[in-house]
Amino acid sequence: MLEKIFTTGFFVSLLASTIRLATPIMVPALGQIYTQRAGILNLGVEGTMLMGAVTGFAVACLTGSLWLGLLCGMLTGMLWSAIMAWLSITMKANQVIAGLGMNILGAGLAAYIYRVIFGVQSLPPAITAFQSISVPGLSDIPILGAVFFQHNALVYLGFLLLPLNWFILEKTTFGLKIKAVGEHPRAADSKGVSVAGVRYAAVLIGGLYAGAAGAFMTIAYLNTFTEAVIGGRGYIAVAVVIFARFLPVRAMWGALLFGFASALQMRLQALGVAIANQLMLMLPYIMTIIALVFASNKAEFPSAYTIPYSRMER
Amino acid sequence: MRKNLKARIALLLGILMLLPMLYACGGKTASDEAGESKKLKVALVLPGKKDDVSFNQAMYEGVSAYAAAHTDTVDLKIVENVYEVADIEPALSDFADQGYDVIFGHGFQFMEPLVNVADKFPESYFLLGTGYMFRKNSAIYDVALESGGYLMGVIAALASETGKIGVIGGADASEMVRGHAGYRMGAESVNPNIEIQEIYTGDWNDTAAAYEAAVGMYDSGVDVIWHSGDGIGLGVVQAAVDKDKYVLGNVQDQKSLGEKNVLSGIQYHWEAVIDQIFKDIASGAFLNLEDDARIYWITIANGGMEYTPINDTKGKLTQDELKTIEEAYQKLKNDEITWPAWN
Repeated sequence: MLEKIFTTGFFVSLLASTIRLATPIMVPALGQIYTQRAGILNLGVEGTMLMGAVTGFAVACLTGSLWLGLLCGMLTGMLWSAIMAWLSITMKANQVIAGLGMNILGAGLAAYIYRVIFGVQSLPPAITAFQSISVPGLSDIPILGAVFFQHNALVYLGFLLLPLNWFILEKTTFGLKIKAVGEHPRAADSKGVSVAGVRYAAVLIGGLYAGAAGAFMTIAYLNTFTEAVIGGRGYIAVAVVIFARFLPVRAMWGALLFGFASALQMRLQALGVAIANQLMLMLPYIMTIIALVFASNKAEFPSAYTIPYSRMER
Repeated sequence: MRKNLKARIALLLGILMLLPMLYACGGKTASDEAGESKKLKVALVLPGKKDDVSFNQAMYEGVSAYAAAHTDTVDLKIVENVYEVADIEPALSDFADQGYDVIFGHGFQFMEPLVNVADKFPESYFLLGTGYMFRKNSAIYDVALESGGYLMGVIAALASETGKIGVIGGADASEMVRGHAGYRMGAESVNPNIEIQEIYTGDWNDTAAAYEAAVGMYDSGVDVIWHSGDGIGLGVVQAAVDKDKYVLGNVQDQKSLGEKNVLSGIQYHWEAVIDQIFKDIASGAFLNLEDDARIYWITIANGGMEYTPINDTKGKLTQDELKTIEEAYQKLKNDEITWPAWN
């Protein structure tokens, strides 16, 4: 029985699926690393992704250009997070509440935009999404080729963000400034770093990544928009950042863990493993919570995490 | 600063909680003055969007078609997205309070609020979409998905070459469980040794999860999948297109989503029971229905479901097999299949 289930094909399918499922969680998580390192907790990722998803899809559908759709999705994500930045940095609003509010607003607005553009149709409009690209040479490697090198262009780009993230955070002055305003905004301020400016930039970059991940869902992963297309991935991304202790590579592992658990539970269900489907569905979340418990024990939050900075206050 | 924080959180939380209430009220302030005439005032309360390509849309189209055909006697009002149980009872009472004569609550979660409101407003008629509780002035309409599922099982088993077929559903709600059981019966009636994989995605709308579920099945050798509905169906159809395998639709004809891969599907016709419901209300029979007649079923037998034309682009079905499908359909039409006792 067991050797019948755990064939090579099973593992190839499982791991390829893991990578697909992990991408839309890893990308916004990488963006949130900038944001959270700068001391801002943006819980509005879910709403930002949804706005990116609807814009990306609408633009791709109306212009026929997937890349333009991706670009517009990213810009929308940035614009949307600018509101969050204004609320949390300029207005010094409570970040948890502002973020949740932005999610509610985003959910309503995205559905509204979609209805205004496409109206009520008996079948939803669909586009031809980014097709999977077999990397020449590499995709022919047995097993590994099918797992790693037969995805669509955006999956590869998503993983390329990883070294970029590390480089910007660890090797550039901008990265240093982000960490400085997150750890000790007053010290940064006294050195002539614009705390508000750097924090705005960090939130906008986070929005850019979230917008890209949202567009990924509707023009690369799927080929159509539904109201629930993000399905909580934005919240998972925020959890993954904390699980990752704000480190890009660990964020990747966190996203892969969640993707793996999701992919695994579906396959076990399909094979008729005698566990109630409700319990199976909980598997990814249980694994994330367990990982979170172990990781956040040691997580070192930026000292100024969620605390608005004001030059006058002491 | 820190001291104020709690007060601020409390205030903002309060505002946050008010927001959905404002939202909920906004949708139904428009009480029609024209409704004072002798027109039957009908309200349809949907838990989701009227263009969800599935459960909500099928009912929306059914009731709208009825209203459009009876514009001089029926005045229809529709609200969408009344999903949370806490919002349902106020929404229903509000309509009853405004003098609506017939109120549809489209979904299982409407059951308890609906019977409560039905008790308070004996002058109005209430209809519940799936469930089992009712009052004198309320009834239930439901889909006998087992008959549709049976037919899909027959088609899937005949079209499969690998002997492996799959079924993907949102959550194991009553009609889905019956539908999937029917699918098994249908498939096994053709091939007793067939392997049937089953997945519930746990959510009616997570299209991406359904896509992954379908890809996993196709990768393991399944070559035909039936999905039992809603937004998830879109993901299953897309997986079929990507993997170039067959898929069977539900609720609406989904052929345009995958010209080469949508083999067939179930098409719902809620009109079949909506007409009957309004007839019974007009004649007064509604209030005197027997208990076991208080569920208006759409079935293949009463024309509430049919299958969309077989679109066998891969040429997997022989003439004999097409005949077997048609025979199974006729059997269902004549109500000749005995179902197990559902609980």
